Amino acid sequence: MDEFQEILQDFLVESFELVEKLDEDLVELESNPEDLELLNGIFRVAHTVKGASSFLNFDVLTHLTHHMEDVLNRARHGELTITPDVMDVILESVDLMKALLEKIRDTSSDDGIDVSACVARLDKITGGTGEVETPVAVAPVKETVEETPAQESSSDDEDEIDYDSMSPEEVEAEIERLLSERQEEDRKKREAKIAAGEAVPEMPKAEDEEESKEEPKEEAPKKAAPAPTPAPTVQKQTKKEEPKAAAPAKKAPAQVEQTIRVDVKRLDHLMNLIGELVLAKNRLIKINDDVEERYEGEEFLEELNQVVSIVSLVTTDLQIAVMKTRMLPIGKVFNKFPRMIRDLSRELNKKIELVISGEDTELDKSIVEEIGDPLVHIIRNSCDHGIELPEERVAKGKPEMGTIALKAYNEGNQIVIQIDDDGKGLDPEMLKSKSLEKGIITEKEADSMSDKEAYTLIFRPGFSTAAQVTNVSGRGVGMDVVKTNIEKLNGMIDIDSEVGKGTSMKLKIPLTLAIIQALLVGVQEEYYAIPLASVLETVRISKDEIYTVEGKSVMRLRDEVLSLVHIGDIFEVERILDASEHAYVVVLGLGTSKLGLIVDTLVGQEEIVIKSLGDYLKGIEGIAGATIRGDGGVTLIVDVVALMDIAKNVKVSALSEDQNSAVSKEKTKPSDYVVMIVDDSKTDRLIMRKALEPMGITLVEAGDGQEALNILKAGDYNFDAMLIDIEMPRMDGYSLASEIKKYNRYKNLPLIAVTSRTSKSDRMRGVESGMVEYITKPYSADYLASVVQRNVNFKSEFL
Amino acid sequence: MSDKLKDIINKQNEQQESVVEQLDDVVQLVGFMIGDEEYAVPILSIQEIIKPFSWTRVPQVPGYVMGVFNLRGAVIPLIDLRAKFGLQTKKQGEDTRFIVMRHGDDVAGFVIDRLTMAIRIKKENIGPAPDTTNSDDTIIEGVGKQADKIITILKVNKLLERDF
Repeated sequence: MDEFQEILQDFLVESFELVEKLDEDLVELESNPEDLELLNGIFRVAHTVKGASSFLNFDVLTHLTHHMEDVLNRARHGELTITPDVMDVILESVDLMKALLEKIRDTSSDDGIDVSACVARLDKITGGTGEVETPVAVAPVKETVEETPAQESSSDDEDEIDYDSMSPEEVEAEIERLLSERQEEDRKKREAKIAAGEAVPEMPKAEDEEESKEEPKEEAPKKAAPAPTPAPTVQKQTKKEEPKAAAPAKKAPAQVEQTIRVDVKRLDHLMNLIGELVLAKNRLIKINDDVEERYEGEEFLEELNQVVSIVSLVTTDLQIAVMKTRMLPIGKVFNKFPRMIRDLSRELNKKIELVISGEDTELDKSIVEEIGDPLVHIIRNSCDHGIELPEERVAKGKPEMGTIALKAYNEGNQIVIQIDDDGKGLDPEMLKSKSLEKGIITEKEADSMSDKEAYTLIFRPGFSTAAQVTNVSGRGVGMDVVKTNIEKLNGMIDIDSEVGKGTSMKLKIPLTLAIIQALLVGVQEEYYAIPLASVLETVRISKDEIYTVEGKSVMRLRDEVLSLVHIGDIFEVERILDASEHAYVVVLGLGTSKLGLIVDTLVGQEEIVIKSLGDYLKGIEGIAGATIRGDGGVTLIVDVVALMDIAKNVKVSALSEDQNSAVSKEKTKPSDYVVMIVDDSKTDRLIMRKALEPMGITLVEAGDGQEALNILKAGDYNFDAMLIDIEMPRMDGYSLASEIKKYNRYKNLPLIAVTSRTSKSDRMRGVESGMVEYITKPYSADYLASVVQRNVNFKSEFL
Repeated sequence: MSDKLKDIINKQNEQQESVVEQLDDVVQLVGFMIGDEEYAVPILSIQEIIKPFSWTRVPQVPGYVMGVFNLRGAVIPLIDLRAKFGLQTKKQGEDTRFIVMRHGDDVAGFVIDRLTMAIRIKKENIGPAPDTTNSDDTIIEGVGKQADKIITILKVNKLLERDF
């Protein structure tokens, strides 16, 4: 039955697509009952589904669609006008059709759904008695074979008969007739050939089937084999009607695009591979930069540059291309809303018009799947709470018909979905008092709340503004779900409203989830990546601008008060480096809330690939995943949603650093004193060693600044002083000194410059970079020893 | 002719069986030092052994989880076995290695002080874990007895299990 399954799959996919479009068309039809072309389109859907389902032996579905087709056919020929009542029945039957299709998808049978009531009503419309026998579904078998020849060659009718004017039954009868004619001919030809002793190269299908009909038992497994042919025939048949039926209309008939269906898994795999490529590209760019620095002016550099830029360009293009394969037009989601609005407006006795634009805007598949529910909630909410009753509207001098505009468009790396209504708008005072009543906010909070903040109250759990709970909304769950879902997609919600004029809601959602733009920030020696979609702006502030209110840090940003949290407090970062006078604040926005994140440095913007931390480390609060940077290191990605939650519970940590720097231990013998000698010349190091060894102190040597820094960082020794040469490869003495001074624990470490540079400006630079003494070469051993003794507070008893 | 063939085939089969038997009897392990103790894990559970390199700290985890590192594009947790076994952390030295272990889909790197050697040990020489630790939660698979020492054999699946 494999092939049967395959056909069934195709049938289902096709039918669901058709039905989806049907909803939209039907609603349009109601407002435009004379549109013949629309009618034809709808008729075709019913007809196609009928044809395919009868072939697949779904009797219940066939039965239903057959009656739908009847009604639509009459309407098509002008024998019936589509009134709202008729439309209700048709819509009901469409719903049933959907239910049946779903049933078939789940159980491969259309058994168990009662369509008789609906069919009776459909029948009444067409003037029947309403007494129709409903068949019971049988397992799809055998009959397939009998039907196939009937439809198989229906496409090659020669006679130009106006099928349009025929009822489907007539058409089918005609096809049947033509077919038998044709088969008869074929058979005769074949017989003639066989009689002439010629080999028949390929068994025509018809004969094959006849055989199987004769020997049904033996041929049982083969039965499904001829099936693939008729499925397209049904389509051909319907398509053939198109050119004749197509009246000049504003909307072109649904044109079948050239597409292939691809398993989403394959696309996901492709996306993963691209992710790896992007990482490799980032790495290549980094290496290129390093090489450029090192071999400045070399000729091969230009070539390397070219290659790198081509690779990076192509990678970016490739990434976009693959991303696009995963994109679906948001129309997929929007399609179901006209129907929803229609039902809602009838239910609520309101007049509402839905205006959709930008349905071609494309979004990643996974996002399209997630965005549906929040939109349903928002639109329901607009219908229920936003748009007023027609009388009310007229009294207010507004048009009777309320409008909800659903709009999608691209904005940079984001897509914006905007839902506007011209209803009564949100009243901030009302929202506040309501929230107070329900205990969602305190009086204090209410007083300090701006209008915009008050609007966001509708997203709080347990909030509902409807005076009475209706079937549509007002149970206080919906809008809270909206917020969670949008935040899950790293999106933001923006509400604007004016009392009496209406409400406008903007959902801003990133285009894709796997590869994102991120802002890299540094804190101490660590780096974190923050999804750029959640970053509103960055500001540089001085420490005095941070105030403490009720145990929380805040700052004034233009006319807003922004609560602050230090990234180090959230991620338990040890404060080793000295914090500077200035800090950067990354203003994060998510949904409707804002938070300032204090970081030490801003590194820049980078494209990152999100990787999971795996099972072992999953669920770490505040971390959404990790990414691999150009240098091969791992950088953690901040989970902005969680971060905002954590921030609520973080108590202010004074930005002042802990003064628990290593307390120097009591020195009991000369070798407890440790001094580092940093000089690139071995001879110089030896001279210094010779001068200091008599004191009995411990000496550590380093060949250049970098090495010295590494030794310091390793923390194996507790140094009491350092002797530093100025002229050194890799890192010179000045830079070494300023690097060392960045560390809290080495703030008071005496740095002694030992150099042959004697000019005043050299001395000045030394002081600037934090050197305490300046010894010029050559020097006497005693002098060096005495300077060191003075600086390490060498106890006199050891002398 | 066919009898001869049969004989040969039979013999070969017997030989193969005995080889299999031998293999069945012997467990191959990789031994390593943590502090003063020698531990071992089955050689098949080891994906690779690498020299230490830089890793990234991860917040809000127990002290023995050092962070994550990049193993050819995969982000893998790094666990300090010294800390996990309650020993004082030590500077990583010349002999320090990361052992990347795998069990099913779970992969993690473990920091050990020093590798000792690959060990073949007969099954009969492996005793159960000491009674005091003999519960389901123990990470000790058993104790391998060798001529001059004993080796603690660890359960890889337990090592890779998140316990916080």
